[in-house]
Amino acid sequence: MTDASPAIFIALEQSGFAAAIRQSPWLYPAANVGHIVFLTLFAGAIAVMDVRLLGGLSATAPGPLLARTRNVALAALAGMAVTGSLLFSAEASHLALNPVFQLKAILVAAGLINVAVYQFWAKPAVEHLAPGASMPARAKVAGVLSLGIWAAVAACGRSIAYF
Amino acid sequence: MTRVVTFFSTFALLTSVAFAHHGWGSYDANKPLTVTGPIVTSKFENPHATITVRGSDKVWTVTLAPISRMSNRGATEKVVAVGQNVSAYGYPSTVEKDEMRAERITVDGKTYEMR
Repeated sequence: MTDASPAIFIALEQSGFAAAIRQSPWLYPAANVGHIVFLTLFAGAIAVMDVRLLGGLSATAPGPLLARTRNVALAALAGMAVTGSLLFSAEASHLALNPVFQLKAILVAAGLINVAVYQFWAKPAVEHLAPGASMPARAKVAGVLSLGIWAAVAACGRSIAYF
Repeated sequence: MTRVVTFFSTFALLTSVAFAHHGWGSYDANKPLTVTGPIVTSKFENPHATITVRGSDKVWTVTLAPISRMSNRGATEKVVAVGQNVSAYGYPSTVEKDEMRAERITVDGKTYEMR
């Protein structure tokens, strides 16, 4: 626990909930493993989405492919949010001050904004396209942003422990 | 196909940076030290157990290992309880003052590896 952290994070770390996560022999490791497994599912789903948005996998119509892979991505994202909350609670006061964690939080926010960019700006332009049709620039923008942002989120996540 | 290859090579490049470090990166392995004395406080908790030890010069915070690893090696909560005399060999933190991470600890003549 570090006193330099904002009170809300100190309170979270000192809560019975966070203490239970730290004191259980299996809960913290399980959340850690779960976070990574959900990450692999998420990365796989968005890889398919982003490749399709960039014009790859062009034999398949973009609409249904994007809709189904997005469901997998959203479910995996929810899993990462739950497991990530457990991991964060256990060490909230330190993590809130960790520069790499702060960068990761900003990048996650950017990634979620890009989900809205995809949903309201790129998806309407591509969901009714036929197989083989060239992808509009806005789809490529959303795909490149998604790829870059989420890869950076993963890199930050793994780097938190070293700063 | 070229785009798919570009996609995955970019992803691999971006993520590989994160693995260039190792878990002991913020500890100075060139300045190993041994802290010996009674355990003042003990937290047998994840992600790492931590104890504070009254050494000859000052009270050190000693970061140990994940609790399942410690238990598997016999370094249970009782072994690192308050009042036990411990000798901890490890490296000082380059970030936190008066903190070190133990490579191994010795309690009652028995040595436990932490890595």
